Amino acid sequence: MSAASGTAPRLTALLVAGVLAACESERDRAAVATPGDPKRGEAVFALAGGCGCHTPEEGPIGAGGVELETPFGTFYSSNITPDREHGIGAWSDAEIARAIRAGELDDGSVEAPVMPYFAYAGMADDDLRDLIAYLRTLPPAARRNRPHEVDLPLPRLAFRAWRLLFAGGADAPERAPADGVARGRYLVDHVGICGDCHTPRDRFGAPEGDMYLAGTRSGPDGELVPNLTSDRETGVGTWDESDLVSLLQLGMKPDFDNVQGSMAELIDGIAGAPGLGKAPEDDLKTIAAYLKTVPPIHHVVAEEKEKAEEAKEE
Amino acid sequence: MHDDPTPTPARAARLRTCVRALATAALLAGTPPLALADDHGKELPAGPIRDRHELMEGVGADAKAIGAATKAGKPADAVKPAQEIAAALEKFPTLFPEGSQSPLSRARPEVWSNKKKFDELAADARAKALALAEAAKSGGDLKAASGALFKNCKACHDDFRVPEEGE
Repeated sequence: MSAASGTAPRLTALLVAGVLAACESERDRAAVATPGDPKRGEAVFALAGGCGCHTPEEGPIGAGGVELETPFGTFYSSNITPDREHGIGAWSDAEIARAIRAGELDDGSVEAPVMPYFAYAGMADDDLRDLIAYLRTLPPAARRNRPHEVDLPLPRLAFRAWRLLFAGGADAPERAPADGVARGRYLVDHVGICGDCHTPRDRFGAPEGDMYLAGTRSGPDGELVPNLTSDRETGVGTWDESDLVSLLQLGMKPDFDNVQGSMAELIDGIAGAPGLGKAPEDDLKTIAAYLKTVPPIHHVVAEEKEKAEEAKEE
Repeated sequence: MHDDPTPTPARAARLRTCVRALATAALLAGTPPLALADDHGKELPAGPIRDRHELMEGVGADAKAIGAATKAGKPADAVKPAQEIAAALEKFPTLFPEGSQSPLSRARPEVWSNKKKFDELAADARAKALALAEAAKSGGDLKAASGALFKNCKACHDDFRVPEEGE
């Protein structure tokens, strides 16, 4: 593998990226050509954990400004309410679609990958336009966006480069899969984006593909993030589908303990926002069914002793 | 998203970073891990801190047994574990004497500063466990009774226990 590459391939890559970007804009406009259904969008919002990063603890819903500490600096989530000055009220549907799925803003800049647009890239057109319709029903919050405090040289260029290197590949369908494991996989990967916390990241902050959903000891806010794979000792292999649904709906574990921290916020919803607990039960069931099919990865995150004993008991 | 379209220079950079990460990991491996209260019953000091931890471990095991009995359609098997939970919850609030705070413990200071509320929640939970035992005996709705008990567990954990921390 030679590290030296000529200018020609690089130019080609840039050209291809440019053409792709143009095609994608067209694609986003087409995706939102018909108006969405805010009622259905509320379910999408709930399945996305109430877009929890965008709601401060004390509310209002979607007002942004939540501090997200990362190894690359401190980032502040943006205002996604329909406020015309500070939020997305003056944006077109296509612009919002582009921000969510491609991480691109209307001034041509690319979002910091703290916003997992690379995962939402696979969100189906129908869910996307319903979600946008729902966002437009939120009460406008006049809260100014706070600039990120980035510990990177040339952040704008860095974010663009990151997208070029690590994003892409997810192909958004026109319609979301209707049911079964296919729907569960879709919801996990492109709506609930479980991997955003449950898949460990490499030094570039990109998800480690071979550790898909295997959990991490260094999650957001320094939290433990459990292994969701079907490994019986270190994952949730001993849980059945109803156990997983109880967790997603109520935050209830099989030993009647409850999840706390970020996951509890995503389930309960922050400041009255609908969270996973308010998502359609059938959808939570498809998520559970899909998680049961995720290949086991033996990765100790926590409670190793207990899990090991549990596996032995059966 | 799983195929790897990464161009060559980035691969080289990632490799370099991996080597650096490995070196860091090797360095950190010598550092003792942060002691976590959970699942480290043996490391907790003898006395109320360890006792209350072990008591709750027992409650968790009983709760799992209730879940299993419910799923298996054998409500009778849930009676004893529910009674055990009730007994444990009667003892539980007595295991937080003044001075039993510890960095190894996940108990919030509110346990002591708002002892009244803490005790009330424990008493409520005990009542819910007894109701669950009754439901198990009389063929009542186990799922509903379990849900009611869980709500109590959660209410107390949310206010009086810190979330499990990573590193």
